[in-house]
Amino acid sequence: MHYPRWYWGSFTLPGSVWLAVFFVLPFYVVLSVAFGTVDPLFRLPLPVYQPWWWSFATFQTTLEKFYAGDRIYFDPLLRTLMYVATASLICLVLGYAVAYYTARHAGRWKGLILVLLISPFWISYLMRIYAWQSLLQPDGYINDAGGLFGLSPVIWIGRPVTVVLGLVYGYIPFMILPLFGFLDRIDQHLLEAGRDLGAGSFETFRRVTLPLSKPGILAGLVIVSLPMFGDYYTNNLLGSTSTSMYGNLIDSAVGQAGQGPEAGSLVLILVALVMIPMLYYLRSTRRTTEAA
Amino acid sequence: MSGHPRERRTGLSRREFLRRSIGAAAVLPSASAILAACSKPGTDAGGNGGETGSNERVLARPDNPVTLPMKGDPIPTDTPIESGPLRVYNWDAYFYKKVLKEFEDEYGVTVEWTTFNNMEEGIQKLVAGQVQADVFFPTTDYVSRLVDGNLLQPLNHELIPNLEANYWKVFSDPGPYYDLGWRYTVPYVIYTTGVAYRRDRIDDAAAAAAGYELFFDPQFQDAVSYYDSYRDALGMMLLRDGVTDANSDDPAAITAAKDAILQMINDNGARLTINGTYAKLPEGEFSVAQAWSGDIVGAKWFLPKGTPEDVLGYWYPPDKKGLVGNDTIVIPADAPSPRLAHEFLNFFLDEHWGYINFADWNGYQPPMTSIVPDRLVEEGVVPESLSLAVLGEENFTLGYLQGELSAEADALWLGAWSEIQAGG
Amino acid sequence: MSGMTLAPERPVTAAPARSTTGWLRNPWRKPRFLQAVTWGYLVWSIVPVVIAIAFSFNAGRSRSTWQGFSFRWWYQDAFDSVWNDPALRSAMFQTLRLSLLTMLIAVPIGTAFAIGIDRWRGRPATTANFFMLFSFVIPEIILGVSLFLLFSNLLEGAVRLGTTAQIIGLVTFQISYPVIIVRARLLSIGPEYEESAMDLGASPTQALRSVLLPLLAPAILASSALVFADSVDNFVTVRYLSGPASSEPLSVKIYSAARSSPTPAVNAAATVMLITTLTAIALAWFVYRRITRSRGEAVSSAGLADF
Repeated sequence: MHYPRWYWGSFTLPGSVWLAVFFVLPFYVVLSVAFGTVDPLFRLPLPVYQPWWWSFATFQTTLEKFYAGDRIYFDPLLRTLMYVATASLICLVLGYAVAYYTARHAGRWKGLILVLLISPFWISYLMRIYAWQSLLQPDGYINDAGGLFGLSPVIWIGRPVTVVLGLVYGYIPFMILPLFGFLDRIDQHLLEAGRDLGAGSFETFRRVTLPLSKPGILAGLVIVSLPMFGDYYTNNLLGSTSTSMYGNLIDSAVGQAGQGPEAGSLVLILVALVMIPMLYYLRSTRRTTEAA
Repeated sequence: MSGHPRERRTGLSRREFLRRSIGAAAVLPSASAILAACSKPGTDAGGNGGETGSNERVLARPDNPVTLPMKGDPIPTDTPIESGPLRVYNWDAYFYKKVLKEFEDEYGVTVEWTTFNNMEEGIQKLVAGQVQADVFFPTTDYVSRLVDGNLLQPLNHELIPNLEANYWKVFSDPGPYYDLGWRYTVPYVIYTTGVAYRRDRIDDAAAAAAGYELFFDPQFQDAVSYYDSYRDALGMMLLRDGVTDANSDDPAAITAAKDAILQMINDNGARLTINGTYAKLPEGEFSVAQAWSGDIVGAKWFLPKGTPEDVLGYWYPPDKKGLVGNDTIVIPADAPSPRLAHEFLNFFLDEHWGYINFADWNGYQPPMTSIVPDRLVEEGVVPESLSLAVLGEENFTLGYLQGELSAEADALWLGAWSEIQAGG
Repeated sequence: MSGMTLAPERPVTAAPARSTTGWLRNPWRKPRFLQAVTWGYLVWSIVPVVIAIAFSFNAGRSRSTWQGFSFRWWYQDAFDSVWNDPALRSAMFQTLRLSLLTMLIAVPIGTAFAIGIDRWRGRPATTANFFMLFSFVIPEIILGVSLFLLFSNLLEGAVRLGTTAQIIGLVTFQISYPVIIVRARLLSIGPEYEESAMDLGASPTQALRSVLLPLLAPAILASSALVFADSVDNFVTVRYLSGPASSEPLSVKIYSAARSSPTPAVNAAATVMLITTLTAIALAWFVYRRITRSRGEAVSSAGLADF
């Protein structure tokens, strides 16, 4: 061994310290705010750092708003799950098609298409959604186009379909590129072998390509769906209160007087919700990297 | 202790005191605060509960006006004018940039403009010390709390002669009910909250007959806008139900108001907006919109070319028994340039600049004696069709003013509001 | 089976269709449907942005109805154009400041972390790696709100909300990008190069500097460009951690304006953001080309995919 034991560990030190202070510690603050109280005058959140003084009353009430009494948080949660599921599915189907074509059939256009596919990463998300906001105005081009077909103007902003498509629009690049990476690396010969053994093109796809791209599909789904759970801005720009998502609950609570502990509780609940798919994803990637 | 207005005594809790008194040392305040916190945060050293503090507060009401305690002395009249910059903390797009520019030129300073998107956010950042401002524009319901929190400094009246010279008497003598003797505030603009509509889709008589019911008229489905602001939103529905206490703490009344709003959204496709009145109504996207009077007056600048001004209408109870309110301008206790801030206040209270701000920019009327309805219509500032959007002094005696809510009432209002925001 | 050709050395691109079923079954036919979908997607993805840029030159104040061509919102309007509005101008500089500083901090820390994590085994390594990946997939609002609460409470004396807090937030959110990109590159490089360097007598640090880092150059460049671009665009974390108005970058201004009444000046500001990012990416690309050309490496599509 050329290296002393601590050599490589020391490389990770700056990053680990940074994460410890600015990623792990804030969680403790969130706990302290969620289980804390508010100041009597302006009702700003007053965190309680000593666990023996933590009060779980607000957390309990917040949790109950999901299933008990008026269940006012139940609809936003359900809506979020539905929107995320639908949007992720659309991202998968559409993204897979595009990635597949680009990887396997693009030929001489491949470079250009790749550049265009990467473009959303450097065109700001805001600008892209804002561009859509303009197009979807009552006097915007979408309605103008509809007018050409004799359709009267529709109010697009505020509808669930607009929000879901907005989510797709914003996040699909994160699906396409990992999928492309995977599909691009699938050995041509494997497919030819399948063909030689008598499979048609669809069967080859189903029995060779699809299983091989499973890790890519999984990675893409996780990268796309997890951030969507915390999305509130798509709804703010393209939706309305009827389409509000979990992220909007947090965003409103952070701004309102006296709702600091509630905001903290909502954040904790969200962390718990995304923890399960996250851990599953981390375990599966660890397995694949260890296999590599 | 000297009681100088710049000294921020918190009086909140021992932990807060420790944290603030140990200066800017990086990790030390939090460590010592944690170690030394023998009392639970949110309580005072005696261990008394924090919530009881708010129950002892006197809530200012028109029939129960309040003289705010003097927290320190105003700056002396001969304080030299600072070199700036002047830090203004206000709503977005609420002040005419041209007037700011004139101020900058006259005093040779720069004006830095920080905005907040809603009053709660503005207060939070100011109270937490995250924004430093020379001039702040709170709504009246926060004035008393800001004073109690030692966050405002008393005004030197000698430096602001324009208030008594130009403004309605009620604001200087005896002073507004929330600040008798105008110790800390000058008024910014006043407004009523009514119902704006398109006169090319509804005629005035029908609108006057329907009043608040316009929001529920299926004829205007998907074309109704309502304010994304909990006091205005719930307040108007309370009025519609006949509850004249604009600061009600009656849970049943608040629930009824909330249900009315949800019904309006779910059954009639109404949308919560902030720009619905001044921007979207003139563009035709909405037919009916809850409106602050300033918004509908300012809407004319958003009319598409060729649309006449009189397409905009405004309904308000003719007996003037509707929602009315005003904003204030205050100087925070730790303002870096308080003398300059006083100049700014006086500058704005000047007849000419205050008028320009209103007439040429935001449409919100300052309570100036020289602004009378006839003058406004004559000079084309307000079309005849919007005459109900102009205020007179009687609005303040007859209308329903929204003031500070008690903590319990506010919790009820906010609870109802978060249910509306969650989509119902 | 009819229509099936002999297994060719390379795909026959234009197999003559002898019958419909033959055409459907031909595995090497051009997938018209997929092609249409792909180009359709690209149009859907890019055209709205082009239109938005076009509207920044609108003469009127609408951003949905064309009212004539003008530079009004770029510099002509005395108060509201991007150039003359001091708020928008300072926002542009703030965007640059935040993105540059974030990139300069996040990329070195992330690269070092990736190198360390790749070589180091054991429990602490997996834990550190776990948190790094966690920070990658976590919804940004959680990070933004937690840091906001951190800086407005625990670290209140140390860090005020504003530029410092924003940079810290941005670095925390972006730090996983360099880690992932560099790590991927490390996996494909393998330890042989350094080991041979050390066999030839180089010390570990020398091997690192003269062998590994140049090999990692494309990945480091790519992650720098990505971190920069992402920071220009970021508004969730940055908005929560903003202090005074001077600390609000373009992204936050655009977001606030988009929620109220945007004028085409917002389109112009967004276009400025776009040009900034594009310039940064182009710069990184050129540096990448010079490095690889000077070392005689071919620009492979794998490298491009990294990029």
